[in-house]
Amino acid sequence: MASKTLTNSAHEPGYTCITFSRDGKLSYTGGSDSLVRIWNMDKDQYQEPEVAYEADEGITTVASSNDYWLSGSHDSEVRSYVHGKPDLHGLISKAAGVSIRDLAVDPAGKRVAIATDETTVKVVDIKEITNVISLAGHRKCVRKVTWHPSGNLLTTSSADGTVSVWDISGPEPRVEKTIDGVIPAVSDPESTDFMHDCSVVWHPSGGHFYVSSRTHDIVVISRPNWDRLPSFSDSSITSAITALALSVNGLYLASACKEEIAIWSTQTKRILWRHAGTPNAIITQLAFSPSQNLLAWTDNEGILTWWREPVPAGSPDPIKQSGAANPQGGSTKHKVPATSWGTDDDVNISSVDSKGIAAGENGDGNEYGDDWIIDDLGDGMEDEAEGNGKTEGENKFVKEMVSITKAQPAFQPGSTPMQNKRCYLAYNTVGVIEVADQDTHHIVTVDFHDRSARKGYHFTDHFKYDVAYLGMLFFLCERGALFACPPEQEHPAQVLYKPYGTWSSQGDWEYVLPPNHRVLGLAAGGERPTKSLRDPSSSGGDIQGLGNVVVATSAGDLTFLSGSGMERIVLGLEGEFVSMAAAEEYVLVVHRPGATTIDGSQGLTATLISFEEFEVLQEKPLPIPKGHVLKWIGITDEGVPAIYDSSGHMHIMINFRRPNRASWARILDANTLERKQNRDESYWPVGLSKDILMCIILKGRQEHPGFPRPLIQELPVRMPFRNKNSADASIEESVARERVFIDLARDGLEDELTNSELDKREIELDKSLIRLIQSACKTDKAPRAIELTKRLHFAHSISAASQLAGFYRLLGLQEKIDAIKRWREEQEVTPLETVRERRRELEQEDRYMKAPKKPFQDFEPPRKIDRPALARPAAVVEHTEFTASNATARAVRTRVEAEEHSWTPPPEGKRKRDAEDEAGVKDLEREHHKRCAVGEASTPIPSPKSEVFLEMRRLCGPN
Amino acid sequence: MALPQPLRTSVSPQELELIASEQLVEILPLITMEKTAFISGAYGPLRPPAKCRIPLWMAVNLKVKKKCHIIPPDWLNVEFLQERLSRETSYPEFSQMPFRFAEIAKAILDAAPDDVQNAEKVRSLLKDLREARQAKSREGLAKLDHSELSLPNLCSMEINELRPFFIHAMGVLTQLSREEQNGAAEEP
Repeated sequence: MASKTLTNSAHEPGYTCITFSRDGKLSYTGGSDSLVRIWNMDKDQYQEPEVAYEADEGITTVASSNDYWLSGSHDSEVRSYVHGKPDLHGLISKAAGVSIRDLAVDPAGKRVAIATDETTVKVVDIKEITNVISLAGHRKCVRKVTWHPSGNLLTTSSADGTVSVWDISGPEPRVEKTIDGVIPAVSDPESTDFMHDCSVVWHPSGGHFYVSSRTHDIVVISRPNWDRLPSFSDSSITSAITALALSVNGLYLASACKEEIAIWSTQTKRILWRHAGTPNAIITQLAFSPSQNLLAWTDNEGILTWWREPVPAGSPDPIKQSGAANPQGGSTKHKVPATSWGTDDDVNISSVDSKGIAAGENGDGNEYGDDWIIDDLGDGMEDEAEGNGKTEGENKFVKEMVSITKAQPAFQPGSTPMQNKRCYLAYNTVGVIEVADQDTHHIVTVDFHDRSARKGYHFTDHFKYDVAYLGMLFFLCERGALFACPPEQEHPAQVLYKPYGTWSSQGDWEYVLPPNHRVLGLAAGGERPTKSLRDPSSSGGDIQGLGNVVVATSAGDLTFLSGSGMERIVLGLEGEFVSMAAAEEYVLVVHRPGATTIDGSQGLTATLISFEEFEVLQEKPLPIPKGHVLKWIGITDEGVPAIYDSSGHMHIMINFRRPNRASWARILDANTLERKQNRDESYWPVGLSKDILMCIILKGRQEHPGFPRPLIQELPVRMPFRNKNSADASIEESVARERVFIDLARDGLEDELTNSELDKREIELDKSLIRLIQSACKTDKAPRAIELTKRLHFAHSISAASQLAGFYRLLGLQEKIDAIKRWREEQEVTPLETVRERRRELEQEDRYMKAPKKPFQDFEPPRKIDRPALARPAAVVEHTEFTASNATARAVRTRVEAEEHSWTPPPEGKRKRDAEDEAGVKDLEREHHKRCAVGEASTPIPSPKSEVFLEMRRLCGPN
Repeated sequence: MALPQPLRTSVSPQELELIASEQLVEILPLITMEKTAFISGAYGPLRPPAKCRIPLWMAVNLKVKKKCHIIPPDWLNVEFLQERLSRETSYPEFSQMPFRFAEIAKAILDAAPDDVQNAEKVRSLLKDLREARQAKSREGLAKLDHSELSLPNLCSMEINELRPFFIHAMGVLTQLSREEQNGAAEEP
């Protein structure tokens, strides 16, 4: 963290309070040890502060005006001191033996409002202390008072849970509004809840105020209608907000709760920065420095903390008056840099709302320059994820975007952000890469699940750009580890590849990107080595190929490299890159072709590109529900693309080998898992196969796996079928799932469409189907039994079904099943044949497109016109040549041959090849004669093919 | 018989451990292995990072060669044992434990202490559990009858410890009751 905090045990444990002097050079803290310490803000935390000792009991409040500072304590006296010095000036007021609770000096510095355990609030003129206005009307004591920036309104927060707004501009003070039910009612002054700062905080524009509510969020209430505006809430804030403070210009609101101090943007109402709080300590007061970028607070352990530079450089300054309250049409022409996940720089409707209110109240907006917009375009708010935005910045284009949905940044599946100086760079089914930050260097550990095939190793990284490792991408594939580092000053981004097989450095290569380009994602794929890479006898499986590497860069492209580091092609990528994963023969790229939509959809698309020809096999939008993001993409053990989103759905892409015919099959719904019930946990996928999801189970709100490395858990994969009542539901589900995977495996096969392994799986499937048929027979559901019978793959399975029907004495059903069997045998409509037929159809439809020929430039011979009546019976097997049965066919063929002889030029196709064959024969004969001439032993040269043709010609040629 | 007298009446703990090593445990393999047939059945295939269930003897063997991590059974952790221990000390009857828990726990803790979270604590809990149960089984022996001894949920190792004593004691009791009966029969 760039900003740092300084702490000092300033007071004894107990209630403490803090205020800054108006010029911001000093701060005053008071505690239960009845001392007030005066801190010089220019010195460090070890300074010896000046101390005011006058109070007899614990100090409850300090306040400062221009010339004086005031303290109030449990001894019921309000004392005034000379500015910046511990010199008592005089008594301002004395309550009737009860504690002073709060002091507030009006913006002009003339009057002080005093809240005590009495029910009346007094407003006393500091110079002329007999000049007192009493505000009576509270039923219980008043805990906090604050002034409106105009000095005409005073707000009081009472112990009975009401907030009253007093108008004291007139001669008689009157209650303008009493707001009930916002702040908690706390009657016991000894309770810790009483220490919570329930004061209202007015925005400098005076248009609205903030107050922490009893529901643990920050409520915004606008003037003059006293409407509640959308409140500030965040899921990370779970306990009561104990203190609030607003920066001088009203841009930032700081809140303290038990866990942390959060700084919110008052515009977007999102938390920008956080600081961990001290456990068990209650922060009793927060204060922004009026002149420095500094936030200070005190807690009930008596500790004073200064957080220097809570607002990082580059973000709008918390001091300088800026456009936070700028009303002049700024809300409509609001420009923001590229939206990115995790930052708050996009505008949402509520911020426009609050600005609109500011517009209504603030007349002199001119003093606020438009410069804050320029500030906002600085790099300050860009985080690591905003790689995409940076290149746009080069072109001096300002991205104008009105989008509420934060765009998901690019991520590498299986990597985690740096937490407690450690992170995972890759975690997949091959292995794990961990990084430990040792301040001066990083230790990178590469560990494999299968230690027999590859050996784990670790190395120390002494690169001088060690910080850059944070954004480093790692990728583990079957053949080697890839890593990329982002550019850092003079270092360009580069991709390094370390193959596992060869331990000499000859296999390593690196690929350097031009300066300022970044690597957003990496993937490597290729055939899996069948032999162990550590086996020295085989050359590490190199001969099978080295695979393919894909690099996604910030230049909006996908660069395909071969496994040996040769550049193959650079493909442009539509929209922003999000993630990718590579399989043996294709790469799955997830990108965002457009923008996110207003209603929360990420607008992601998955594209499958083949390695061989760079063909786009599929392009399908991802089935992610609105308001959710992609969590993981990967390839299953069967080679099928899979995605997992934050709503807990796992989808696989079925039919992905059929161009443009893929669909997403939901294979797992993590919310319906048995173990998920009544448990707060989430799943972080590592790998997927057809039966199990390998994942890491994260408890509670954990987002990423931590250290030490958790065990990979296995969850059963179940399609989310809703009918779960019947006993067969689980079998039906497994049959459907197995069917999907058999089809996927079959799509990957050649024309054979089957192999012994698939046959085995189909036999297993038939067994399950027969079990379903049996239960259908038992419950007398003949239609279902027939439907299931039709799905059986093998004839003998159908016989078994028929026997089952006979066993249950369902003779009608048995006859029908027998009929199905007979029909199958006669028609030869096996499921396999149907698939083959279907594929033939698809091949016809998916024939690729040829380039168009220009008219009058086509010098090729005229294309053969296919006329069925004249077609030769193709490739007739010659053993029927002399049988009488094909006499007609022979006659047709002879006629065609005769016609072909008479034609010039000869048509393309078979005829031409004959001519070539003849030429070949002539060559051979010439060769033969030559050899004979040389006088060598003449051996008959076998050329059976041409001989057969010549024989044919002789037989059927002339007539 | 070559064995000394006290061991002859009962099985030795080592032998019990051998018997227990047929039990299946889950492992996380670090090597690839095809499905392999053994006398007790076919196990595997091992495909890291997928888990696999194999017999304990094989798991211990692989673990010694650093070729797997043993995933401890769900009862071999601090929470479970703590809960059982508190139940053991607060209720008179034996709490339910896996029949061969002592042997399996010993085998796993000996071979793979690094795979068990908080192994030292688990060890001491197992020892406490053993002592608590031992005290109970001693108490239970007081109820020994000439014909029956009912101690539900007693585990193999504890039975083994008691066996030499109660077989002998039961023999004596039976003899006594028989003599009593005979005496009663002779008296009238």
